[in-house]
Amino acid sequence: MAKVQLKDIAYGRSGDKGDISNIGLIATNSENYEIIKRTVTPEAVKAHFGDMIKGEVKVYPLDNLEALQIVCYEALGGGATHTLRIDVTGKAMCTALLRMYVEA
Amino acid sequence: MKKVRLGSGSAFWGDMLEPAVEVAKNGNVDYIGFDHLAELTMAQLQRMKDRDPQKGYIEDIIPWMEAILPISVPKGIKLITNAGGVNPRVAAEKVAEIAQRLGFKGLKIGVVEGDDLYPKIDQLVKDGWVFENLDNGDKDITKIQDDIVAANVYIGCEGIIDCLKDGADVVIAGRVSDTALYIGPIMYEFGWDFNDPNLDWNKMGAAVTVGHTIECAECCTRGFNRWKESKNLENIGYPIAEFYEDGTCYITKVEGTGGVVDEWSIKEQLMYEVHDPKNYIMPDGVADFTTIKLEDLGNDVVKLSNMTGKKRPDTLKVQIGYKDGFKAEGNVFLSWPDAWGKALQAAEVVRKRFEIVDLVADEVKIDFIGVNLLHGSVAPEPDPEISEVGLRVTARTRTMAEAAKVGREATHIWTVGGVGASYGAPFKPKRIISLWPTLVPRDAVEITHFIMEVE
Repeated sequence: MAKVQLKDIAYGRSGDKGDISNIGLIATNSENYEIIKRTVTPEAVKAHFGDMIKGEVKVYPLDNLEALQIVCYEALGGGATHTLRIDVTGKAMCTALLRMYVEA
Repeated sequence: MKKVRLGSGSAFWGDMLEPAVEVAKNGNVDYIGFDHLAELTMAQLQRMKDRDPQKGYIEDIIPWMEAILPISVPKGIKLITNAGGVNPRVAAEKVAEIAQRLGFKGLKIGVVEGDDLYPKIDQLVKDGWVFENLDNGDKDITKIQDDIVAANVYIGCEGIIDCLKDGADVVIAGRVSDTALYIGPIMYEFGWDFNDPNLDWNKMGAAVTVGHTIECAECCTRGFNRWKESKNLENIGYPIAEFYEDGTCYITKVEGTGGVVDEWSIKEQLMYEVHDPKNYIMPDGVADFTTIKLEDLGNDVVKLSNMTGKKRPDTLKVQIGYKDGFKAEGNVFLSWPDAWGKALQAAEVVRKRFEIVDLVADEVKIDFIGVNLLHGSVAPEPDPEISEVGLRVTARTRTMAEAAKVGREATHIWTVGGVGASYGAPFKPKRIISLWPTLVPRDAVEITHFIMEVE
């Protein structure tokens, strides 16, 4: 099976609540939604981010919007006011996820 | 069918004024909501108020009201803002002065108070309430209790509704939830009441969803991912929601303004800062985003229908800010040739220097600007011919003296960093106010309001 990079099949938008980073992953069409729903699992996301995500990852599907809500715990270095990261609110977490390759 | 038109006028402290003026002038709206508060803002404002009791509100409210009142008052548009920060009363006095100067005698300014939990924390702890940290499950708040600088509850829209019932033209609140700025006018216009046992929580879910959709102003109309297709961004249009009594809504913006309202811009915002999409919990209701029917009607109009929800929660979210040491930062930039190699060497030197000067830090972090500053360990190795790499050295320390060491050692790379090392002035260490997100029982919070009439 061919590998595809998420940036070619989905859009992203991420934000923060405390130390929790949430990444919205929006498929660009129905076929791509089936791909991300199948492949973007909590395990895959956690493995992709390595030491950037210290806690667990949850993935919630929204079939009506053909999108996944990905919630990453202990993922922002302690939260916006505490973290040493320059991207204090994790706005680039979504583009970091878009680097991921999945089975098409 | 009855409807209400709500415009968004701000997403954060420091947002653009002109698009808000455009919404007032040409948005044909009944209300404009202004959000100026982020998670940390309340603690920052509390510290300003501690130094000067006449401060602690968002001072942007002055130029904004000067620009918008002359448009909104003749048209009868009502303004709802959280610019009151930790001092809504003083903010209202400032707005009253502006209104008086503009000749709006009799204008009614509503003030909402009751979100400040700071004076009640110690008593609630004594009474046995456990302020469990929502981020990490820590149940022992006593370890930070002496360092608390602010505690504000995300309150719902009750106070806003009460002000509107008393005829307010402008409502000034503090830490109301962002969505309440829009849910308040919706409930007031349609006569929806929290005391009504038959209140339709699906329609409340719709109000929460729509509040969430437009509260971030230009984030809803930017079109982030299709950034190239979205044009005229310097004149971006803030979103407008036309909300119907049956819980259906149309999202749009003023014709001719920049940005875009389409399937993608709305989906981006719907997914923004949401956790479990079946349970988007706000003080006024719980929205379920998994039932929404989204239709892109073209020409910058998106229809949202079939929105659902559940009863509002019995607890409210509180954001407690506490003093938590210091943050220090120093930067230096390495240039081609071998920018990457020189940056790695410089990082090694800094780490060893920290050992020599016995730096005591909770955390030290070294990032490479242009390589992995944003994507961290997900970023690939840089091109060996990369033209420049920046070194960003940061640390968290318990004392200011330790923090000062960090900046000082970072400056030593200026001279030992290799040929072409460039730098700017070092940053001053900053105090860290960390946040302890938690819950409080709804009955422990008393929301009050009063009206200030312009003379």
